[in-house]
Amino acid sequence: MLGPVKRETGSSAALGPADEADLIARCRADDRGAHDEFYHRFRRSIAGNLYRVLGDRTDLDDLVQEVFVIAFRGLERFRGDARLSTWLYRICVNVALGRIRTRKRRPPAFGVNDLDSAAADPSLVERPETPDRTLERRQDQARVYRALETLAPKKRIVLYLHEIEGLDLKEIAYLVDSNPVTVRTRLFYARREFYRVIAGEDAAVLDDKADKDGES
Amino acid sequence: MSRHVKPHRWADAYAGKIDDAQRAEMDRHAASCTSCARVRARVGSASDSYGTIRTQPAPELPWDSVRARVHWAVSKEKRAQSQPPRRRVPNLAWAALTATAAGALALVTGSGAPRATPPPIAEAPRPVIAPPARPEPLAPPPAALAGLVVRTSGTTSGGDVMIDGVHPPDLFARHLGAGTVIATGDGSVDVQFGDASAFALGPRSTLELRRFDAELIELVVNGSIDLEVAPRLPGQRFVVIAGEHTVEVRGTRFRVDRVPSATTIECRHGLVAVRDRSSSQIEVGTARGVHLKPGVAITADLVVPLSVAELASLIETDPVRVPIWNLDALITGSAPLEIATVGRRDVRVDGIELGSAPLRVRVMAGRHTVEAADSKGRYRRAGWIDVGAPTEGVKPARLEVPSEPPRTAGIAERRRQLRAGIDQASLKRCTRSIAKAGLTGTYVQVELAVDATGAVGFLNVIDTDLPSATASCVREVLADVAFGAGAPATWREKLDL
Repeated sequence: MLGPVKRETGSSAALGPADEADLIARCRADDRGAHDEFYHRFRRSIAGNLYRVLGDRTDLDDLVQEVFVIAFRGLERFRGDARLSTWLYRICVNVALGRIRTRKRRPPAFGVNDLDSAAADPSLVERPETPDRTLERRQDQARVYRALETLAPKKRIVLYLHEIEGLDLKEIAYLVDSNPVTVRTRLFYARREFYRVIAGEDAAVLDDKADKDGES
Repeated sequence: MSRHVKPHRWADAYAGKIDDAQRAEMDRHAASCTSCARVRARVGSASDSYGTIRTQPAPELPWDSVRARVHWAVSKEKRAQSQPPRRRVPNLAWAALTATAAGALALVTGSGAPRATPPPIAEAPRPVIAPPARPEPLAPPPAALAGLVVRTSGTTSGGDVMIDGVHPPDLFARHLGAGTVIATGDGSVDVQFGDASAFALGPRSTLELRRFDAELIELVVNGSIDLEVAPRLPGQRFVVIAGEHTVEVRGTRFRVDRVPSATTIECRHGLVAVRDRSSSQIEVGTARGVHLKPGVAITADLVVPLSVAELASLIETDPVRVPIWNLDALITGSAPLEIATVGRRDVRVDGIELGSAPLRVRVMAGRHTVEAADSKGRYRRAGWIDVGAPTEGVKPARLEVPSEPPRTAGIAERRRQLRAGIDQASLKRCTRSIAKAGLTGTYVQVELAVDATGAVGFLNVIDTDLPSATASCVREVLADVAFGAGAPATWREKLDL
């Protein structure tokens, strides 16, 4: 059984395997109270996961709804080979992937993301910092998401899960329903593309020089 | 190191995946190469931001609305699965055509009945053409009924009521007719459909108006519904389908509560007949109820008298009705009035008790007096409000009931319990980050209510100089304090941190 992914998933972290099994059994029996408990227990972690993967909150409520509908529909088939929170995270990843693909075809109407807005991030006021530093940090985050936008959806998800969430290849392979070797290959190319975009125009300069000098 | 460093190698370095010697060599190169130094800085700042991104909290969403939509989507699928598949109607036209063609072929080829001798050449038999049957005069279809929303409670905006899968902005202006599916979230909705007929759909319930006309009203419920039905005219039927059970009434006030494990029918007055799939039937009379499990045969001995508490509960959930039922006049001359309260308060409008606010209720245009019950159940005037005729795009009239002044009895004891029950270690964890930053002397002021059993009625942060995340962390710590049984109290507490 695949253990929980490293990310804490809010209140779901307190749910033991026995409680989890009980909750799933009650949901399968169509117990309305269990459905409510399931929703309240996982709603924030699901919204948070989708929000961080996508980097914006446009239609976030629709996506959260989609995840829950898929989850309630799929609970019958949930075999318990992973923790419930991990399974839900996998659904989030797939829903986010679908969203990224749609967005690639139809670019977002409002900028790249609003992840760095102060209203969306109450934790920002935790650490007193200078306005300059706050601005810098927001710009860094915006640059990261802009660079992610340039990647193909599958590469983007893999890179996000590895670089930002810090998951290992096996965990990522489960989440994206692939095998670790494929994930490693995808990650290899994704990292090169991503950091080239992060490096900006200097990356091209370095490439030209590297062509002349030889690869480092 | 004379060669340039690829950008992703800097990321590896920041992630600690490169040994010290190599890292030192990369840094030496960057010291002499401006391009590599710039790339190092950019990759470094991006890598630094990963931690912030990873800890981004979930944004606030309209959780009730999302819950209602999920509930609606899931229950719609289940409803579709539970309905029997449509039987394919045999295509009679094709059958008739085939028979005619076969007949014609038989006539032409002479196949069919064996013949002993070749028939004499004769005139082909004339087909007998039957005179066209005179069509039966079609009975006029029964007059369609329409319902109107008269109250939404549990939420001031009515935002968690869905009609046919969407949140209609004009909920109170909608005609609800046959085929409509109503779904509720955490609140309930009252719908009136005649002078003395109305229903209240409970929280997290779904109702389909399968037939809704003068001849037959057929409702399919999943969840809880309270109905008050005017006496039916001869030939009129009123049926509620709850899973495998069918409840039929003539004129009564009753409740059907259907969950997958059981169906409960409670009758306050009148008489309802309950049938199952095997057509066994029992009657449930005034102040009686029956609890039916799926697959169990229904028998008369299952009917039991209702307790006083159950009867009181039925009275409390009476659907609201407007006194004069005229659909057109109501659409043009009435509008929703929103009554907002802090916590749950029983309210009256123009002396009529409407149950627990916050709620929205349909009232006629004009001035209305609103009263709210205090903690002792006494109604006190909350104010008056002018409600205008409904206008598209204009927000409904809203009256905010001022909160009750805090009670004073038992405060000293409850305050002592609060102070003693706070988990100081958790509290310190909440304020650790701001303490590290040198912020001390902070405070948080909360208002809370504890009832006689020790249950916390509400706990609100009313003033603080803490960041919102820290304040909510402190609030959670305070919410974990266990109070014993004692005097109920409502008070404000200022905690210095």
